[in-house]
Amino acid sequence: MSARTTVAPASGPRLFNPTIAGITLRGLLGRRRSLLLIPLPLVLIALSLLVRTGNVPTKDALQVVVTGLGVAVILPLTALIIGTSVLGSEIDDGTIVHILAKPVARREIVLTKYLIAAVVSGLVAGVSLLIAGTIVASVSVGVGFAVAGLIGAFVYSALFVLASLVIRRAVLVGLAYILLWEGLLGNVLDGTKVLSVQKYVSEFAATFSGSSLVHGPMSLILAIVMSAVLTVGALLIAVDRLRSFSMAGETS
Amino acid sequence: MSESATGTIHDIGYQRYTGARLGRSYSVRSLYAYSLRTVFGLGRGPKSKIFPFSLAGILLVIAVVVAAVKARFNVAIPPLDYANFPGTLSFLLMLFVATAAPELASRDLRNKVLPLYFSRPIGRDDYVLAKLAALVTGVFLILAVPELVMFLGGAFSAGSASGIWGQFTDLVPGLVVSAIFALVLSAVALLVSSLSSRRAIAAGAVVALFLVTEPINGVLAAIGTGATRELAGLTSITGILEGLRTWLFAGSELDIGSYGPAYAAAAVVLVGLCTALLIVRYRKVAS
Repeated sequence: MSARTTVAPASGPRLFNPTIAGITLRGLLGRRRSLLLIPLPLVLIALSLLVRTGNVPTKDALQVVVTGLGVAVILPLTALIIGTSVLGSEIDDGTIVHILAKPVARREIVLTKYLIAAVVSGLVAGVSLLIAGTIVASVSVGVGFAVAGLIGAFVYSALFVLASLVIRRAVLVGLAYILLWEGLLGNVLDGTKVLSVQKYVSEFAATFSGSSLVHGPMSLILAIVMSAVLTVGALLIAVDRLRSFSMAGETS
Repeated sequence: MSESATGTIHDIGYQRYTGARLGRSYSVRSLYAYSLRTVFGLGRGPKSKIFPFSLAGILLVIAVVVAAVKARFNVAIPPLDYANFPGTLSFLLMLFVATAAPELASRDLRNKVLPLYFSRPIGRDDYVLAKLAALVTGVFLILAVPELVMFLGGAFSAGSASGIWGQFTDLVPGLVVSAIFALVLSAVALLVSSLSSRRAIAAGAVVALFLVTEPINGVLAAIGTGATRELAGLTSITGILEGLRTWLFAGSELDIGSYGPAYAAAAVVLVGLCTALLIVRYRKVAS
């Protein structure tokens, strides 16, 4: 991180704060735990190469590898780990107090941290989906999945940033959502797709790739509306929560 | 006034401890019991109980429903019979170990309490084995209790001694499979958790490991033929468990050919390796 920007007195509503962005980015990538994000995309790419060498129909390969692993596992897990740690780790450490004590609007803090989380997880998931989709099918399919993954990262990050503010054990709740709601119930009860980000992303991927090999699970309009509602709603609640945030005890 | 020291040492009643010294096995047992309580959040605040008890509750409810359906309509649900119960609901088990293992391992690392443990007559290996045993017991309990409920439901609606015996011979494989699942999942989860002092990161890593290896198995099974296909399950943790279950008690669409013993060996090696690595890890850990 080079130039250290000083926070200018707020003139009108600011939504992005480069200093907070820099600190968040450093906290996210400058530690050993960021290495955790490397193996996930590597497994996806290795598997894509593997199905490419075998004589698997492209449709099945996309279904199992790119959707089954990329969209259903790697995207949400990346977004969960990053989304819950941009604010969550500062809350755990207690360093959030230093930011809260500065004359910076709470909205600015939440939105900056959210943007960093969404962009970083969107890049990690998007690039790996791009490579996997290109290897398995074609460049256009890869781009379709990458764009869908990027949008998905923005939705997931909003939800997980909110979770890290509201719930103390946000990672476990996020894991339960990914494993039980999207994983277990998503395959059994078709109705859960209305509230499943994974299904929105599949729908976006089907639309953007423009390929008959990928079929969307729901209507595009519904996916767009629900994604927007969840993202904006989660961010509004998150800003409100941080506004009335009080440091809780360290136990439990 | 305090200058007037006369050098007298007053006898204020210091005494040596002359009672029984309970020794190493007692402290290991205490650590085991304490850790088992920790797995379920007992002795902690209500927030720590939410996850373990709701997961155990979901498993129990599913078992009750299965037992009721079986008794009322005499319809068996093959994916949820005794031996298939742990495999079908493995997502819940993953979540359970991802909750419990960091609670056992990461919390002690985070709070740097290991020196306190190791200054007692408890060895580093004892510590690891007690924690592992507690986690295995916890996972086994949340599986065995629902299976017993299903057994009771089946036994009371069986009506004849041979029917009850039939239920019992189905229950035993279920308990064996549950024990295997408990051992393998716990060993892997505890090892992963012992590498991070942050519970949240450890939980994420445990689930990531289970989920990411799973599709490898599926892809290999899809593209491979013959031996590759039959050995594909070895590439994922759930695959090893499913393969072993198929070899022991048959009755699944999984094709493992004649490689059953390979799956058994893989499970043994996996548990052994994880336990050995845990022991090595705790010999090195700063305290």
